[in-house]
Amino acid sequence: MIVVDKLCYRSKLRYVNASEKFVFSILTLLFCVVSRSLVIAGIVFAVNSYLTVQKGKIPGLLYARLLTIPFLFLIMSTLAIIVNISKIPLDAYAIPVGSFFITGSFQSLLFGIQLIATAMASVSCLYFLSLNTTMTDFLRVLLKLRCPKILAELMLLIYRFIFVLLETASAIMVSQKSRLGNKDLRTSLDSFGKMGAGLLLRAFWRSNALYDAMESRCYDGEIRVLEEEYPVRRAEIAAIAAFELVLLGITIWRKTL
Amino acid sequence: MSKKEKILFRAAIAFALMFAVTPAVNAMHIMEGYLPVKYCIAWGAICVPFLVAGVISLKKRVAENRKAITLIAMSGAFIFVLSSLKIPSVTGSCSHMTGTGLGAILFGPAAVSILGIIVLLFQAVLLAHGGLTTLGANTFSMAIAGPLLSFGIYMLCKKLKANRKVSVFLAAFLGDLFTYCVTSIQLALAYPSEAGGVAASAVKFLGVFAPTQLPLAVIEGILTVIIVMAMESYAKPELKAIGFLKEAR
Repeated sequence: MIVVDKLCYRSKLRYVNASEKFVFSILTLLFCVVSRSLVIAGIVFAVNSYLTVQKGKIPGLLYARLLTIPFLFLIMSTLAIIVNISKIPLDAYAIPVGSFFITGSFQSLLFGIQLIATAMASVSCLYFLSLNTTMTDFLRVLLKLRCPKILAELMLLIYRFIFVLLETASAIMVSQKSRLGNKDLRTSLDSFGKMGAGLLLRAFWRSNALYDAMESRCYDGEIRVLEEEYPVRRAEIAAIAAFELVLLGITIWRKTL
Repeated sequence: MSKKEKILFRAAIAFALMFAVTPAVNAMHIMEGYLPVKYCIAWGAICVPFLVAGVISLKKRVAENRKAITLIAMSGAFIFVLSSLKIPSVTGSCSHMTGTGLGAILFGPAAVSILGIIVLLFQAVLLAHGGLTTLGANTFSMAIAGPLLSFGIYMLCKKLKANRKVSVFLAAFLGDLFTYCVTSIQLALAYPSEAGGVAASAVKFLGVFAPTQLPLAVIEGILTVIIVMAMESYAKPELKAIGFLKEAR
């Protein structure tokens, strides 16, 4: 149902220590955003895609499709940045419309390209993390970072419930479809709303039943599960450190230029 | 097929797939890596007081009644699932609900701020809507500003004894619009226009996103009305349990 969640269980990098993967992607992400340089964006995008597709064995086509999800936002907001309406024409291009110009400068065009590259590289960082780390491992890392206990617990429960509710929702939607529940816009809006209400009601019932089940298994305000530890490997740490140092070097070099 | 043809064939499939997938029109999550660092930090810092207030109110509710935890968690999962499903839309593109207006009306703004940040984190990691660096900015626009306005309008309409359907619609519709305005302003602050500064830039962002966001807000309003009405007609005891319908009308 959720493609990313399915894929991360198949990833060959799944059993690499989660903290390592977390630190790697967050640091890389930061360098991307701080430096805003085309060089770093290129390197990061290439490395993350190599790691995800070659090492993690995530199907390349699916990876490419996933990368297009934020495309619309990217195109539209970048357009808003590089297109100006003004009385004075700027240097890159200027199309006269009445007494105004639709115009832009070379500087903003370059900036737009940099922005697109940075954003795509950042998305590849995000995907490296989410396609190779299961959500439970990710939550454990958050807990290690001293995220409030009640939040972590809530996240664990919400993560579990998402799939329960998704299953219910898709069952309701299938039966709506089989009864012509989407024959026109009006009906489909009505069906979707009713599905939502039915889903919320089921959610409440389930939460009651779940609480009873938890209490009968001695729940006292804390969910304790056994952890599976994946060892931290020295070679991996060294590789990550080396890579981040290279990025740091390039960032400093570009900034002082 | 020769090897060359095979490669060509595969490339063609890849090319087609790239364009076959309709980009998601979601409720304007700012994508990963799109904001400069200082804005990421600033928006995150602005969210902190609201989140602290949310955690405190959450802890109080759980201390009062421990059963509340599964109920709150179910509500969070519900918002996530609702926002991950494709909704029927006019243009045929695939768009999603935010569910924040509904959340604010049903659970109150304090709970929604916490549920919102969790849902946004899951959306970023599982659906690539939004991102980790832009989590602060997105939380502010979608889990704090929008729901607060929705809740305010809903309360106001209640005081004015407006029609229930109208008040629910207005709360969800205006909350959605407000989220979209806040996001546009966030983008404009980070990227002021070369000609005209922040204000001109805000107008541009508002204009660019209007064609997708305005119909979405209307649809969100209508769906929220249908959901709330259906809930009221056959789930009164459950609604009382979450504090909605507390005061007998």
